[in-house]
Amino acid sequence: MSDEATPGMVKITIDGREMQVPAGDLLIAAAEKAGTYIPRFCWHSRMKPVGLCRMCLVEVEGPRGTMLTTSCTMQVNDGMVVHTESDVVKKAQEGVLEFLLINHPLDCPVCDKGGECPLQDQTVSFGPGESRFVEEKRHFEKPIPISDLVLLDRERCILCARCTRFSEEISGDPLIEFVERGSGTQVLTFPDEPFASYFSGNTVQICPVGALTATAYRFRARPWDLQAAESTCPHCSVGCRISVQSSQNQVLRFQGVDVDSTNQGWLCDKGRFGFEYLNSPDRLSTPKMAGDDGLQEASWIDALDAAASGLMSIIDEHGPGAVAGIGGARGTNEEAYAFGKFLRSVVGTGHLDAQIGDGLEPRLLAAPADRGLIGDLEKASSILVWGPDLKEELPVLYLRVRRAATELGAKLVVAHPRRTGLDDVATHTLRYRPGAGQDLLRRLAAGEGDAGAALAALKEGPTVVITGLAGLTEGPDLAEAVAAFGRDLPDATVLPVARRSNVFGALDMGVSPALLPGRASAVDDGARATLSGHWGADVPDGSGRDTAGIIEGLEAGAIRAVVLLGADPAVDFPDPARASAALAGAELIVAIDMFESVSTSMATVVFPALGFTETEGTVTNLEGRVQKVSRLLPGPGGARPSWEILEDVATRMGGSIGATSAGVIATEIEKVAPAYAGATWDALNTAFGRDGIVVPTADATQPIEYVPVDRPSAPVQRDLVLHLARVLYDGGTTVQRGLSLAKLAAEPAVYITPQDAHRLGVADGSAVRLSGGNGSAELTARFDDSLTPGAVYLPFNLGISVGSGLEVELEALA
Amino acid sequence: MTWSQKTDERAQAIIARYPDPRSATMPLLYLAMHEDGHLTEDGMREVAARVGLTPAQVQSVASFYTMYKRDRTGRYLVSVCTSISCMLLGADDVLAAVSEETGVADGDTDEDGLFSVEHAECIGACGGAPAVQVNYELVEGVTPEQGKALCAWLREARPEVVLGDEMQELFGGQRSFEWGPSETAGAVGPFPAFEPYGTAKEGR
Ligand code: SF4
Ligand code: SF4
Ligand code: FES
Ligand code: FES
Repeated sequence: MSDEATPGMVKITIDGREMQVPAGDLLIAAAEKAGTYIPRFCWHSRMKPVGLCRMCLVEVEGPRGTMLTTSCTMQVNDGMVVHTESDVVKKAQEGVLEFLLINHPLDCPVCDKGGECPLQDQTVSFGPGESRFVEEKRHFEKPIPISDLVLLDRERCILCARCTRFSEEISGDPLIEFVERGSGTQVLTFPDEPFASYFSGNTVQICPVGALTATAYRFRARPWDLQAAESTCPHCSVGCRISVQSSQNQVLRFQGVDVDSTNQGWLCDKGRFGFEYLNSPDRLSTPKMAGDDGLQEASWIDALDAAASGLMSIIDEHGPGAVAGIGGARGTNEEAYAFGKFLRSVVGTGHLDAQIGDGLEPRLLAAPADRGLIGDLEKASSILVWGPDLKEELPVLYLRVRRAATELGAKLVVAHPRRTGLDDVATHTLRYRPGAGQDLLRRLAAGEGDAGAALAALKEGPTVVITGLAGLTEGPDLAEAVAAFGRDLPDATVLPVARRSNVFGALDMGVSPALLPGRASAVDDGARATLSGHWGADVPDGSGRDTAGIIEGLEAGAIRAVVLLGADPAVDFPDPARASAALAGAELIVAIDMFESVSTSMATVVFPALGFTETEGTVTNLEGRVQKVSRLLPGPGGARPSWEILEDVATRMGGSIGATSAGVIATEIEKVAPAYAGATWDALNTAFGRDGIVVPTADATQPIEYVPVDRPSAPVQRDLVLHLARVLYDGGTTVQRGLSLAKLAAEPAVYITPQDAHRLGVADGSAVRLSGGNGSAELTARFDDSLTPGAVYLPFNLGISVGSGLEVELEALA
Repeated sequence: MTWSQKTDERAQAIIARYPDPRSATMPLLYLAMHEDGHLTEDGMREVAARVGLTPAQVQSVASFYTMYKRDRTGRYLVSVCTSISCMLLGADDVLAAVSEETGVADGDTDEDGLFSVEHAECIGACGGAPAVQVNYELVEGVTPEQGKALCAWLREARPEVVLGDEMQELFGGQRSFEWGPSETAGAVGPFPAFEPYGTAKEGR
């Protein structure tokens, strides 16, 4: 090694080995990168050091001799000489462990953590072997629930403060803290305020002992009996990396995997505990067909015949344009591709959509000009979040924005109709009445009044603009205008967001009237011709209907048959009652799903599909990052992969989508979808590993680049307008079919400002009638002073709907 | 229960002194005690809402300090120092005498809410040991008999304001040193007398 250190690096010596490490690194981190593992309990690479547990003591040579010091709080210095294995260090480690074990109950045989416990492991490696402590240990009631999901055993706790620091530093909801500091120090919540954090499960994963355990996993398995595979969380479009762990053909838990690009190790609780639905006894395991008495079990042959002949007779009578497809955003890219190919090439229809009337312009989601990455947040000077409440819809993206605004000092501007999870770390919060967003945007762009300071902040680049639908009563025009505004900022990238798990992948696979696979435009004749060359079939022109158009088509009789792939428009369409009525009028519904749903109850044929952890493939997140999902489990007996079902129907219709395995489809995608060139399973499994591949890769072409348009929508002047937005725990299948999450869904209520409430004679907690564009409902009113007067807020999909119209009326009930 | 307007104004005035509201947590905890007689869960919630912390964080602070009483506390909190100087000069007997006179064991409060009795760590009056505090007002050189008399007096006279100098005159002995001009304001409850908290009042 040369004498000169590379710029940005310093030279240190660890246990006689000279090495260069990044300047500014903590010694514990630098040593680990260089291959020397220093034991630790309190230090966590994604949190600030505190030097609490003393397990990481090392000897550092200094002018006055060597000194024991905690390596997690010491930065490396040029010329530093460190000993991690000296007798003094060993003695110190033994001492620390002996102290930590003084009050530890040593109930490893009945502890969930046993087998993967840092305290166990480090005691074996660095501990004294025997304790001199013979006195009584501390006693606490064993385990107490600190939330619906997490239990705390204070006897096992070694007071490392990882959990409490996580809740303050990372998730921003410090509902647990040390109390009775002194000989009685313990972690605790406030008496009547449980640890109801959307991120509580992370504390279970990072607790270095078995003090925090999760109800969903408690006593289900020993770590050494688990099979594991790395995969990608299926619950939203952030695409967090997870480890799927199972035993005896049951998924038992998801753990966060630390990747820089997306989740940095964290998961939200919906992602972490949202595996239970996979094991639900309600999973479909045989095909079903409509009979006199609702859906009846049927044989595969009968069901496939019925689906194929039903579709063919409608095509014969009314043409392929009478058939439409909705869905594909819940599965893999391979399944979405098969769906799109089936509809376009076998059925011959251009009416298909992966969004359920709740999205943005598909070309904006698929290929925005100046698209940003989540990682851009790390170097951003300013951030604009104008869209959904990220904490409710894209929770780990919320964590990343929060980190940028707190740890990394970015200025954060949040615009939303009401308080969002990010407001407490925002430098500027802008609120507006649904329908009046464009006015606010105009004021922001002009830097008028209170928006002036926000604009000044946003002019400090690099800027990341995150935009999406703030609520379901507003059209996509506002988000589009915000994206256009973002592009005009001096140094900005735009990250348009939509929530539904693999919606970005499904759009990239062409499940949209506007898009062909690989981000080609469906109105581009050349692209259509190329695709029809590949497929050996005509590709319908780009005039197809999106989901709202399909619903209209059903109402008007222009659409007569619908194929649903993992979609429940009767619940997820912003106006569910309307979608439900439209579907009820369909002549034929063929559904491929894991569960029965409101929509499948109207189906002629329902096929049982394999789902997450049961099929291999890829998914694409909101950045355009393609990642692998793994197959670890067989799934319920009779269920089959969606692509296989589609292929079987296609064959009976005299066609084929050439799907003989998910791998074969993947190869076809790589060949057919321009932007996906190079994004092969092989590349994902090997070279790119955990970070996935952002498409288009360097040597791929991206046929479209969509420049967002500033389309002003008409301003609205109404008495009372509705903000309709999603919450994390709602009536969705993946929440409701799991024991842990189902009980977390909130009670439906309508939120109103105290001013409006006063005007209307409504008290906090009183009964009201809310009437909207499509229906009315009786429910409880709650005060929310973060809304703009004249606006009320109704959480979406909690069992109450009054339609998705902007204008509503509210009256007090006696 | 929400705070009285007066308390709220005091809270706002205290918060205004600090660049960051959370710095006002500890003073506000005394306001909360003043409001409810001791530190209640409601009180901690009120503090949390005003300083921008969660109740769990406020509880974390409150539970570290013995002077934030989270249990019901008597109108007169008698703290007998039992640290080394006082212990050597008979503090244990003083504590026993106080307990006997009040009928309240160390660490307890009587049914009527008149007395709380506790032993305390050094209260900084070692030169005048054994030392006692009533509502943190100091009395030095207290013998067991004087301790009893002090408690009997508190029970009979029920002073609205507890004043160190007054008690010293009536029941005290040897003082550590001359503390300077006598204080005219004393404590109105089992929390330290401090004007900005509204816990001090002119006595005698
Ligand atoms: S519960 Fe676990 S993470 Fe929290 S302080 Fe105790 S040992 Fe650390
Ligand atoms: S943020 Fe989304 S992808 Fe990440 S764990 Fe939660 S649901 Fe899964
Ligand atoms: S890891 Fe360094 S003190 Fe805990
Ligand atoms: S030992 Fe009692 S006052 Fe110091």
